Amino acid sequence: MHSESKTKYYSHLVKLIIAMIVLGVAGFFARQLFSPESMGEYGHYRGADIEDQKNVPVRLQTNESCFQCHKPVRRIHKKGVHKSVSCEVCHGPYADHVKDGKKIGMLPVKKGKEITHLCLRCHNKVIQARPRTSIKMVGMPEHLQEKKVRIENTCDQCHMVHDPLLWINQAKEMIGIKEEM
Amino acid sequence: MSALAAHGGTVAALSNYVFPNDWHVHWSLMIVLYPYITGIVAGAFIVSSLYHVFGIKQLEPISRYSLIFALAFLACATWPLLLHLGHPERSYSMLITPNPTSAMAGFGFIYSAYFILLVHEILFIYRPTMVTLWKQSTGFKRWLYGFLAFNNDNLSPEAIRLDHRIISFLAGIGIPMACILHGYVGFIFGGIKANPLWATPLMPLIFLLSACVSGIAGIIFSYILIKKFTGQEIDVDCVRTSIKFLWGFFILDFVFEMLEVFTHFYMNTHHWHVLENLLWGPLYNTYWLYQVKIFSVIPFIVLGVLSLFKFKDRVILFFAPIVSFMILIQVLLMRWNVVVGGQLMSHSTRGQVTFVPEWLGREGILVAIFIMIAPVVILFILSKIFPLWVNKEAANEQPIT
Repeated sequence: MHSESKTKYYSHLVKLIIAMIVLGVAGFFARQLFSPESMGEYGHYRGADIEDQKNVPVRLQTNESCFQCHKPVRRIHKKGVHKSVSCEVCHGPYADHVKDGKKIGMLPVKKGKEITHLCLRCHNKVIQARPRTSIKMVGMPEHLQEKKVRIENTCDQCHMVHDPLLWINQAKEMIGIKEEM
Repeated sequence: MSALAAHGGTVAALSNYVFPNDWHVHWSLMIVLYPYITGIVAGAFIVSSLYHVFGIKQLEPISRYSLIFALAFLACATWPLLLHLGHPERSYSMLITPNPTSAMAGFGFIYSAYFILLVHEILFIYRPTMVTLWKQSTGFKRWLYGFLAFNNDNLSPEAIRLDHRIISFLAGIGIPMACILHGYVGFIFGGIKANPLWATPLMPLIFLLSACVSGIAGIIFSYILIKKFTGQEIDVDCVRTSIKFLWGFFILDFVFEMLEVFTHFYMNTHHWHVLENLLWGPLYNTYWLYQVKIFSVIPFIVLGVLSLFKFKDRVILFFAPIVSFMILIQVLLMRWNVVVGGQLMSHSTRGQVTFVPEWLGREGILVAIFIMIAPVVILFILSKIFPLWVNKEAANEQPIT
C-alpha cells in the first residue's frame, strides 16, 4: 500500500500549515470584524459602554424625592429611629411609582404577615452580622411572648412602621412609665 | 424563621460574625468541577506521555486510549465555566479582545492552545490507523477518515519518520502545556491573596499533582471497566505499572496537601486561627473525615501494598478499580474543600458559613451529574471513530526515545 500512494510523504504537513495560515488570516480579519469599534478607547473595555451606562434609567431616588409629596409621613419619619432608612427599602423603587413627575403606578402595600417578614429582614436575631448596639434585634415568636401579646400579632400592631417607638413611647407616657425601652 | 438565611437557592447557616457580603458562596459546584475536569485531562495526557515520550513500554495498551480520554474530558472542560458565568455567546470576546493583565482571561488562550495541540497529536498518532480505515470504509466514513488522515495515504518510511518527528515535537511541548494548563488553574486560586486558604505558592503544585493523580486513576478505573464490560482481555502488567505511577504521584500529592496545612499550623500566623476554625468547623467532615482519613489514607496504604508486594492478577484487578475510584473521589473532595471551603469563612476572620448545593438550577447537582456523564458519552462517540486500543498488527508507532 505504501508504494501505491500517489501523494508526497510530506503533503499532509503542507496541507496543515496552509490550513493554519488560512485560519490565522481568517482569525485576524474576524477580530477586525467582531471587535467593538470603541474597544480600547479609554482602557481595556468598550469606550461606548460609558455612554450606555449613562443611559441606564435611574430607578432609585432619595427620601427627599418621596417627601416632596408625602408630607405627613415626612414629619413622622424624620423624627423617628427609622430616619436613616430609605423609603425604597420597604416600598420599592421610585421609578415604579413616578415618571417625569407624574404618578404612573401604586407601590405594593405590605399587609399582615408580610409586614413581619419585612421587619425581620433587618431585625431578625439570626442575622449574626448585624451590629447589636445600633439595631434592635428580635427573635420570633420569643419577642411576642416576652411582651405578653398574642402570638399572631404583626409588628405594625404595636410599632408605627415609620417611627417604631412613637406609639410605645406615647403609651408609656400615658400610663406614666419612665424607663427606657 | 429558622436559623437559616436563604440566598438564591443556596442555604447559608451563619455563625459568629459574618460580613453580609460573605454570606453567599459565589463559586459553587461548577467551579468545583472545572478544576476537576481539567485535572483529569492533564493527568490523562501525562499517562500517554509516559509511553510516547518517556518510553514506559508497559503503558502501551493505554497510550492511545488516554489521549482520546483526555480529549473527551477536554471537550467538556469549559461547560462548567460557561454555565457559571452565563452568556456563553460572550465567551469569544475573551479571544477577540485579549487582555494580558487578566489572569482569568488567560484560560481562553491556554485552553485553546492545548486543545489544538491535543487534537493534532491524536491525528498524527492515529494517521496510519486512519489511512487503513479510510481505505477499508465507504460513504461518509470514507470521507471522514480521509479528512482525519489529512487526505494523505502515504505511509512510506519517510512519511512515518516525519510523523514521528512531529509527534515528538507535539508531545515535547504537550507535557509543559498540560502542566501549565493545570498549574494555571491552581495559580488562579493561589493568586487570590485575600483568601488565606488559597493564597499559597504551593497551590499550583498541589493542583498539578492532584491532576496527575486523578488522570491516572480515571484511566485505570475506566480501562478496567471498559475491558470487563466488553469482555476483552486486560493487560495486567499495564495495570500494575499504572498503579505504581498512581502511588508515586499520590505520595507527592498527599504529602504536599498535608505540608500545606502543616506549614500554616507551624507558622501560627493569624491566618492559622482562621483556617483552624474553618478546617475544624464547617469543613471538618469533608476535609478531615472524607478527604484525608477515608479517601487518602486508605488508598495510600492499599496502593503501597499493591505496588510493593506481588499479588495474583485477580487481586490486582479487584483492588485497582476500587482504589482508583476512591482516588477520583479524593480529588473531587479536594476540589470541593479548596473551592467551596475557601468561601466558607468570612473576611471578618471570625465567622463561618455552611453551604449546601442546590439540586436543580444552572449550578445544581443535577447539572453537575450531567456534565460528568457528558465526557463518557463523548468518549463513546470518539471510540467509534478512533479505535481505542492499540492493534498489534496495525501498530507501527514506537515510543520516541
